[in-house]
Amino acid sequence: MTPDEPARHTGAGRRDDRVVPVYAVTGGRTRSSGRDLPVESLVLATDRWAGDLQKEHRMIIELAGRPVSLMEVGAALRVPVGVARVLVSDLADSGYLVVHAPAPAGVGGRPAAEVLNRLLAGLRAR
Amino acid sequence: MRDDNGPIPLKVVVAGGFGVGKTTLVRALSEIPPLLTEEPLTAASVGVDDIAAVPGKNTTTVAMDFGRITVDDALILYLFGTPGQDRFWFMWDELARGSVGAVVLVDLRRVEDCFPAVDYCENRQLPFVVALNDFPGTTGFSAETVREALALAPDVPVVRMDARSDGSCLATIIALVEHALERTTVAG
Ligand SMILES: Nc1nc2c(ncn2[C@@H]2O[C@H](COP(=O)(O)OP(=O)(O)O)[C@@H](O)[C@H]2O)c(=O)[nH]1
Ligand SMILES: [Mg+2]
Repeated sequence: MTPDEPARHTGAGRRDDRVVPVYAVTGGRTRSSGRDLPVESLVLATDRWAGDLQKEHRMIIELAGRPVSLMEVGAALRVPVGVARVLVSDLADSGYLVVHAPAPAGVGGRPAAEVLNRLLAGLRAR
Repeated sequence: MRDDNGPIPLKVVVAGGFGVGKTTLVRALSEIPPLLTEEPLTAASVGVDDIAAVPGKNTTTVAMDFGRITVDDALILYLFGTPGQDRFWFMWDELARGSVGAVVLVDLRRVEDCFPAVDYCENRQLPFVVALNDFPGTTGFSAETVREALALAPDVPVVRMDARSDGSCLATIIALVEHALERTTVAG
């Protein structure tokens, strides 16, 4: 949730059912390269062909067939959300994903009235 | 890499002391099962009921109080439950940033458990509602008594709810959004 520190993750204690070895997928990088994407940032796949990517990258792209948050990506891959953030950033940089960060903030960094109105209408309709 | 015309994520923080109903509320509203995430131990202690730490391991599998409501195809609301305790404040800053606001759950048998969360929201000017959870023996207190006991500003909504009822949980979230909306109008 905060910038994670999975770097100290030891091989000895690693869960066997982890889908993706952390080091393998991030190339040893464990911090996002200055990108400060909030954990609720949404990820959506583009139509760029991803058949030649490694498996965990394809998993993310498949998952992102509908909008999913960084939190959900991390959970699906069984990696800390900080690792998901790095993977997603890389895929976005190479055009496989688009990241939709939270709406431009209104007063005090909060969502703008227009967005809150839409949210309210949507919730009331439930 | 950011696209301003795409789907918009929003979030609400659900706070309150241990056992006050955070997990119940998030699960009542979420369309996805609780997420099992692998997190560093420091972060893992947040919003978590049960941490099974293994010696020599710096991450652990945790069940987050994390929920998702797809409001429409371009608006997704996420719910984050987090214990309102001092040692979790580092976590709060990230979750509160850019959020709609917070639901502060209160068990009237242990009102003081919500003080830190109320203080936090007031200090950061985070919009919040106080939700009185309907636990046995708590119906005798009026909302006004609670407002006084917590020294709440007059505009802060105080609602009664039962976290075990989906409709009641939704009504609480709606009260928060209404309040947040009022705050944008007043402030802007
Ligand atoms: N009577 C009553 N019980 C509740 C309510 N909300 C939660 N509970 C119960 O209180 C217990 C603790 O709730 P939980 O959601 O785990 O609390 P948390 O520690 O804040 O996540 C559970 O057994 C719930 O069923 C409520 O509004 N009324
Ligand atoms: Mg809980």
